[in-house]
Amino acid sequence: MSARTEERAASPDDANDITRAFLNILEDFAEERDRLGATEKAVLNILEDFGEEKRRSEDTQKAALNILDDFAGEKALLEATQKAMINILDDFDAEKGKVEITNTDLRREVEDRTTAERALTAKSAALASSNAELEQFAYVASHDLQEPLRMVSSYMQLLSDRYSGSIDAQATKYIAYALDGAMRMQALIAGLLEYSRVGRQGDLETIDAGDAMRLALRNLRQAIDESAAVITHDPLPTVVGNSQLLSQVFQNLVSNAIKFRTPASAPRVHLGAIETDEGWQFSVADNGIGIDPRFRDRVFVIFQRLHTRDEYGGTGIGLAVCKRVIERFGGRMWIEAVSERGSCFYFTIPRHH
Amino acid sequence: MTSPQSLRGSSHVPHLLIIEDNPGDVDLILDALRQTGRAHTFTTVHDGLTAIEVLQQGADGGFTPDFVLLDLNIPKMDGREVLKVIKGDPQLSHIPVTVLTSSRADRDVEEAYKLHANCFMTKPTDVRELFEMFDRFTEFWFDTATVTFRASSDQAID
Repeated sequence: MSARTEERAASPDDANDITRAFLNILEDFAEERDRLGATEKAVLNILEDFGEEKRRSEDTQKAALNILDDFAGEKALLEATQKAMINILDDFDAEKGKVEITNTDLRREVEDRTTAERALTAKSAALASSNAELEQFAYVASHDLQEPLRMVSSYMQLLSDRYSGSIDAQATKYIAYALDGAMRMQALIAGLLEYSRVGRQGDLETIDAGDAMRLALRNLRQAIDESAAVITHDPLPTVVGNSQLLSQVFQNLVSNAIKFRTPASAPRVHLGAIETDEGWQFSVADNGIGIDPRFRDRVFVIFQRLHTRDEYGGTGIGLAVCKRVIERFGGRMWIEAVSERGSCFYFTIPRHH
Repeated sequence: MTSPQSLRGSSHVPHLLIIEDNPGDVDLILDALRQTGRAHTFTTVHDGLTAIEVLQQGADGGFTPDFVLLDLNIPKMDGREVLKVIKGDPQLSHIPVTVLTSSRADRDVEEAYKLHANCFMTKPTDVRELFEMFDRFTEFWFDTATVTFRASSDQAID
């Protein structure tokens, strides 16, 4: 607009100028009117736009409200979750308490077991050392007792052999007694050595009890034949033990059954085997003179004899050796009463040792 | 180089070193040897240390016994030690050593053979058995065995 004012000042013709100016004004006015109309239109447009904005704003507000609504839902959810978590934590605390109790129990049990194990280890060590001492004692005894004994018996023998012409019957009898004593002492020492051997002889392995029995019966063939003994047996299993030692157990038991027979009838011996929870239970039953119930435990004690030498010979080693062998296999040995005459020895051999 | 220590033959009378402390046993052994009727000479010593001295001095002088009879339970030096020394000494290791003891214990037998004993004999309680045992012993070692005894330089010990 300022540019047009300058144009007018530069015009020479005033009338024309006024008309032109008037026209210009009108023109300007028209222009202004147009402009105004445009402005109005623009304002209207703006207003229209504003309405739209408003709508939009309303929408936004609505959306915001929705969002807030949603948020409230979220909040509720969140609160619920939080609550749930707290519950879980509470539960966890309770569980933790329980776990702690269990842990305490476990710890106590472990402690108890450790204590028991320690006691067991100590006992095993004590037992092993007492076994070792027994073996050492038996070894020394059988070794060192043998020598003076041999002197007694050897020179008694030389006396009786070489001087029989120059000594009387009484002296000969004394020499015989001394010799007999020396020989018996010798047998006892040999037995002691045998007994001490059980502790250290042979490894434990899986063996056929039938083989052990057959070997025992082979060794006893002469006694079996002479006494016309009848030996029967169940099928025998495989067990964990030592074949040589088990064979010795069978041999001692069957040998006893034959030895302690009644004069009236030929010995009958049955070797049985039944499977039990712990392993196998063996039995050796005979029809012999039996054992007085009062002495049933004593027969297993080393050197314990129930009869005079005149009735039945022996050193009292056999059953002690049997018991020691079975105990070494981890089993037990005992005698039970049987209905008829005779005795029945039982022993077990556990499945695992 | 080999040099025969003892010439096996009718002209050679075997010499035994008897290492035994118990006089009763020495008498029994000598009695038993006499009973065999086989010619022999002997030296007796009563403890382990003297035994080693006698053996080593003998070897230095060019003489060693043909046999050693050794009791395990002897004073001053145990029979097992004596056995170890004999079998570990190149001048002595060729001498056959018979362990002669009252022990029947397995561990003594095993140990003796581990220490290179050549024979293990348990002295029997029955004196007649003892005489019989010495008869068998001399029958084999004096009459039957054809081992050529050689100087120690050739005798390697495992």
